[in-house]
Amino acid sequence: MTGFDRRGLLRGGAAASALALAAPALLRNAAAQGKPIRIGFPVPLTGAFGAEANDQVRAAQLAIKAFNEAGGFEGRQAELLVRDDKLNPGEAATRTLELIEKDQVNFLVGGLSAAVTLSINNVARERGVIYNSITQSDAINEAKDFGRTTFHEALNPHMTAGAVGRHVFPKFGKRVAFLSADYAYGHEMMRGFKRAGEASGIQVVADIRHPIGASDYSAFLPRIAALKPDVLCLCNFGRDQVVSIQQATEFGLKRTTKLVAPVLLFTSRKAGGEAFDGVIGGTSYYWRLEDTVPTAKAFNDRFRAAYNGAVPSDYGALGYAGVRSVLEAVKAAKSVETDKVVAAMEGLKADFYKGPQSFRKCDHQSIQSVLVVESKSKDMKTPDDVFTIVGTEGPDERFLRSCDELGHKA
Amino acid sequence: MSAQTTTPVGAAASPAASPAARPGAGRTGRWLALASRHRVALTLAFLVVFPWIAPYQALAANILVLGLYALGFNLLFGYTGLLSFGHAAFLGGGAYGSGIAIVHYGLHPVLALVAGTLLATLIAVAMGALAIRTRGIYFAMTTLALSMCVYYAFYQAESFTGGENGLRGINVPSLSLPGFRLDLLNPTVKYYAVLAVVGLAVWLFSRLLSSPFGAALEAIRENENRAQACGYDVRRMKLVAFVISGALCGLAGALQAIHLSIVPIETMHYSTSGQAVMMALLGGMGTFFGPFVGAATFSLLQDGLTTLTSHWQLFVGAIFIAFVLFLPLGIWGEVLARLRRAGW
Repeated sequence: MTGFDRRGLLRGGAAASALALAAPALLRNAAAQGKPIRIGFPVPLTGAFGAEANDQVRAAQLAIKAFNEAGGFEGRQAELLVRDDKLNPGEAATRTLELIEKDQVNFLVGGLSAAVTLSINNVARERGVIYNSITQSDAINEAKDFGRTTFHEALNPHMTAGAVGRHVFPKFGKRVAFLSADYAYGHEMMRGFKRAGEASGIQVVADIRHPIGASDYSAFLPRIAALKPDVLCLCNFGRDQVVSIQQATEFGLKRTTKLVAPVLLFTSRKAGGEAFDGVIGGTSYYWRLEDTVPTAKAFNDRFRAAYNGAVPSDYGALGYAGVRSVLEAVKAAKSVETDKVVAAMEGLKADFYKGPQSFRKCDHQSIQSVLVVESKSKDMKTPDDVFTIVGTEGPDERFLRSCDELGHKA
Repeated sequence: MSAQTTTPVGAAASPAASPAARPGAGRTGRWLALASRHRVALTLAFLVVFPWIAPYQALAANILVLGLYALGFNLLFGYTGLLSFGHAAFLGGGAYGSGIAIVHYGLHPVLALVAGTLLATLIAVAMGALAIRTRGIYFAMTTLALSMCVYYAFYQAESFTGGENGLRGINVPSLSLPGFRLDLLNPTVKYYAVLAVVGLAVWLFSRLLSSPFGAALEAIRENENRAQACGYDVRRMKLVAFVISGALCGLAGALQAIHLSIVPIETMHYSTSGQAVMMALLGGMGTFFGPFVGAATFSLLQDGLTTLTSHWQLFVGAIFIAFVLFLPLGIWGEVLARLRRAGW
């Protein structure tokens, strides 16, 4: 019995448990070939932006389907793993950990709201997993939050507000009032407008902040109406935007002032109805782009065929583009390895659904066109025809903040 | 309410007394007495094997952290009889404290845990000193109001806390301690690292409950006037309980910040305070193991139902109502009560 002492038992036990811990990793590597390419997709299926999130899922599924129908990559099919982040950054971080650690996803796409996207990004970049963000955020471009695996498919507030400002200020006048939701997104949008306004020499007559989620704007609107500004910029989002535009319309502000929102959401406009008439704003995508852009037509047709004639929303289209960018990069790189796919994404020259797009090298921001649209409720081709495209700012790096300003060292 | 909860608490706090008093329930009593004498070991034994039961490790670590949060809350709610609606300030204070220590000052993670706990303790001292003068519903409202003040202070201090966007970049890929190095990117290692800290806190908590101070707290819960008449400085003891409770919740927050690598501003929101009440009630207020049962039930229910249906809130709500109606002692409280009644 000398060979079977306590020490030996401990040693054997330690070796056995080490093997048990290592075994799954070994097996995983062996089975990687032929396994589906998994893309984690955390979006807020429940919560204030449920409608947008569900549209993102539907559009993303189209990109997956197209990839698989074309034979996938070396026989490997793609798979979308949708998770509900409940619009909560903590839940999003937990779900991202689940997707990376348990589900072993190859890539991540998703996020709606800046706080959530930054949270997913932080978890993903620490683990070296490619994450393509599909929501508006300025912070994600900045060196502090950027990681080599961070990509930003969506517009950012600087580009969006900038494009809208450059369109509106020369046309409607220089006396500008701001009504902004008092949080990061509102501030970023306002900064974008002010930057764009410097060129045309605007004069800020009022800069009013309202708490996020406010339901009553009657304290702010008379003050603004009394100033009779040429333009009122509403730097808020979602329900805040719908409510503030409705109340501004009731106050008769539209008689003297052009209402401008940095981002006009297709879904918000459909919820807000006629109150939006004449409001100008920016967007990444509007389905009527199909009149001029062939890839938009092809994308819309696929979407209509799959979902009973419905057209994709702006955020929905981003879900499609986010997934497609990653999958196209896999094909170009001929690999799913992170480094190779990062390089392929950096080199991607895409025209997936809205015209040419490419990722800038320093911050991985997608350089793309910004549409300026005006809301309407007359002369509609279909009930979904709610905007007129009044301007397009083409993809150009000079509309972004410089790499230097963002803190990226050359 | 308090009479119902005394039974499990009594068994936990004074293990030797109950079996002798009731000859009929001898065997059960002995088993329960044995179990409650080794309550720390049993709790930890369960938590050691828990990752194999949980759907994924990140969720298991969440449950550990939330369990500690509910445990800290339970010291005040279940053992001292004070219902606070402001404990999110301590969870958030701990989370921001350790997060800021790592992001802005580059402190070692262990020191960051201390920093987070300290910040939460300070907030608890300030809040407690003000709130402890009130009772009952006024105490609940005061703590709620004060915690919202803390929320707005952290919300506005954007350069430190990240404001609405939350604090990011609490990246602790590995933990170097004298003699060895832990790879915290490995979820299993991270779970057990968190468990080591939680285990220490659970042990301290148990020691505290079995001390004369713990007995005095229960005396205050049962009858404040009588406790005062016995010569206890009730107000001071309440304040000390409040601060210790805050410190435990702060430690939970500090662990959460390192676990998730971010601190969302929602951590401080009053709905997070409500979550503590929910978990304590669900598990069984005034029971030692109840908070962990509550945290696990709460998280597993949400996690499971979310993947099944987008109307998960409806089902979670219905299930919670059912718990309150049919298990007023909470899950663990009910288990203890049944065992005691059954007598095997």
